[in-house]
Amino acid sequence: MFDGIMLGLSTVLDWNNLLYVIVGCFVGTFIGMLPGLGPITAIALMIPITYSIGADSGMILMAGVYYGAIFGGSTSSILINAPGVAGTVASSFDGYPLAKQGHAGKALAIAAYSSFIGGTVGAILLMVAAPLLAKVSLSFQSPDYVVLMFLGLTAIAAFSNKGQFLKAMMMTVFGLMLATVGIDPSSGTERFTFSQADLLDGISFLLVAMATFALAEALINVVRPEKKEIKSINDSDTPQIGSTKLTKAEIKEMAPTVGRSSILGFIIGVLPGAGATIASFMAYATERNLAPKALKDKFGKGSLRGLAAPESANNAACTGSFVPLLTLGIPGSGTTAIMLGALIAYGIQPGPMLMQENPSVFWSVIVSMYFGNIVLLILNLPLIPYFAKVLAMPKSVLTIMILFFSLIGVYLVSFNTFDLFMMVGFAVVALVLRLLAFPMAPLLLGFILGDMIERNFRRSMMISDGSLSFLWERPLTLSIFVISLLVLLFPLKDFITQRRADKAAVKAKQEHA
Amino acid sequence: MLNRELLGPSLFLALFTLYAIVAWQIPLLPFEEYETFTSATLPKVYAAFGIIVCLLSIGATLLKPTEKTDSDDVLEKSNVLRTFGLLILMVVYSAALEPIGFLISTSVFLLVGFFVMGERRKKILLLASIPVAVVFWFLMTQVLGIYLVPGNLWS
Repeated sequence: MFDGIMLGLSTVLDWNNLLYVIVGCFVGTFIGMLPGLGPITAIALMIPITYSIGADSGMILMAGVYYGAIFGGSTSSILINAPGVAGTVASSFDGYPLAKQGHAGKALAIAAYSSFIGGTVGAILLMVAAPLLAKVSLSFQSPDYVVLMFLGLTAIAAFSNKGQFLKAMMMTVFGLMLATVGIDPSSGTERFTFSQADLLDGISFLLVAMATFALAEALINVVRPEKKEIKSINDSDTPQIGSTKLTKAEIKEMAPTVGRSSILGFIIGVLPGAGATIASFMAYATERNLAPKALKDKFGKGSLRGLAAPESANNAACTGSFVPLLTLGIPGSGTTAIMLGALIAYGIQPGPMLMQENPSVFWSVIVSMYFGNIVLLILNLPLIPYFAKVLAMPKSVLTIMILFFSLIGVYLVSFNTFDLFMMVGFAVVALVLRLLAFPMAPLLLGFILGDMIERNFRRSMMISDGSLSFLWERPLTLSIFVISLLVLLFPLKDFITQRRADKAAVKAKQEHA
Repeated sequence: MLNRELLGPSLFLALFTLYAIVAWQIPLLPFEEYETFTSATLPKVYAAFGIIVCLLSIGATLLKPTEKTDSDDVLEKSNVLRTFGLLILMVVYSAALEPIGFLISTSVFLLVGFFVMGERRKKILLLASIPVAVVFWFLMTQVLGIYLVPGNLWS
């Protein structure tokens, strides 16, 4: 492990890569601050650039963007109560009241320090957990991968918002279906190409990612603008930044919260499908429950603990979500799914062999996370007042720029205008689905995992002579399969409870009328 | 009229059914005839599973006690028209990129895009379109050495 850390350090400390960490954090913060745009969009917009700079640097840049976007999301949550990222919604509960009370600087500093500690704890745990898990996963065989991917797909659907399980499942299936377009690599049979030569190679991952996130995100903000008027940082009633200093007593009050939330965040981040949003809400709820009565009442009104908890948890969860990606090659979230797609595009297969075959990528991503946290703390925090000016950028300019960078980004990779037409088509579909409240991440996950599932499933079937017995022959496969089935059945409980509640509510209304 | 909650699953049901029809027509190679797993296996599984999920979703929506929803979510006509305008603009830009070249098509795309978004300030319209296209073109072609199409019509 020590050798690995040294290798990661030497890669990251290369001037070019250090620059990519800094640029990634800046760009991520910039995009993450814009309400409605999250880390997935930020990373999707970066992919065309990363294709020209190599795998190590590309992954370092994307990891920086990921961190920056989460931090940027916290800034807009605190300053204007408009979270740029779902993972920072919980930060606005106490961050915005603090800012309204004239402590915007303090709130931003708490966010930055908590994120730093959360990210650092996460990076240390990742350094320990990833190699261990990678070693264990070396014994994994094709059937184990099939059930693991099945678990990843069911988990992301199960952990989607309440009442969205079936929608998430439909999106997952849609993603899996899109992955079958093109020539079947094993038999050479054309599938769903409709005699279009441009479809023989399948649909590009970049195109789907850009259309469903960057384009659809920009267009949804046009068709359904935020009801809440976003105020610029220069407006008179928008909180001024103020001092960023924290007192010893305040630090003492928050220290246990940050520690607990960091570990909780990391563990939740490792679980496939959970991610930063669930981690931040769980940390917030846990801290509120643990707080003494006097402090509990302050939650929602500007509690320091209430801000520190989700901030440390969401950053630790971001780091945690890299564990399944780097060790098993299975992304646990939409963001890591995009990174998986980028790695595959580089010709690198993430998974247990990544640590042995591409140790520089493996370790530099881990070490760059730590550097990303330092960059955010040292450079971004003092620059927040200037970054905040981005919130004053005219929406008209911003939307068109996103459309332009998305289109040209895809064109610069394929130099094929057919891809652009297809991308607009996908954007229309994604827009309609977004308006109908369908989540996008399961689609991307299904699309990226589709090919791997098919390859491993085929191999497993061949090994077991065409029988499905591979699902229960090995205890490991069977255990993961059973867990996947339980995860699949988990939302059924919610569904039944919800139905009972709905029925009761309607009955009560009718009686009232 | 079709309920909003039913619209999504119904659209997916239609899509998955079409997918199933095509999946069942995937040609099998001679050696695949007696194989358990062919190139059509997973598409068929996905189609069947997708249709089941859609039917479950439709069933769950129909069984759900209905409640009158407020019209809070109705889209404004001007915003819908603006979105359509942007979609058409993107299609036109995609079609024009190669024939008339990056510089002209991008400048026009940005300018018209800002206009569609309601921007009327001449300073922003001009400064955020042509200079951006030129700077981007310069960075790509002169600094990074990436080829950008100059326009098939003139070259």
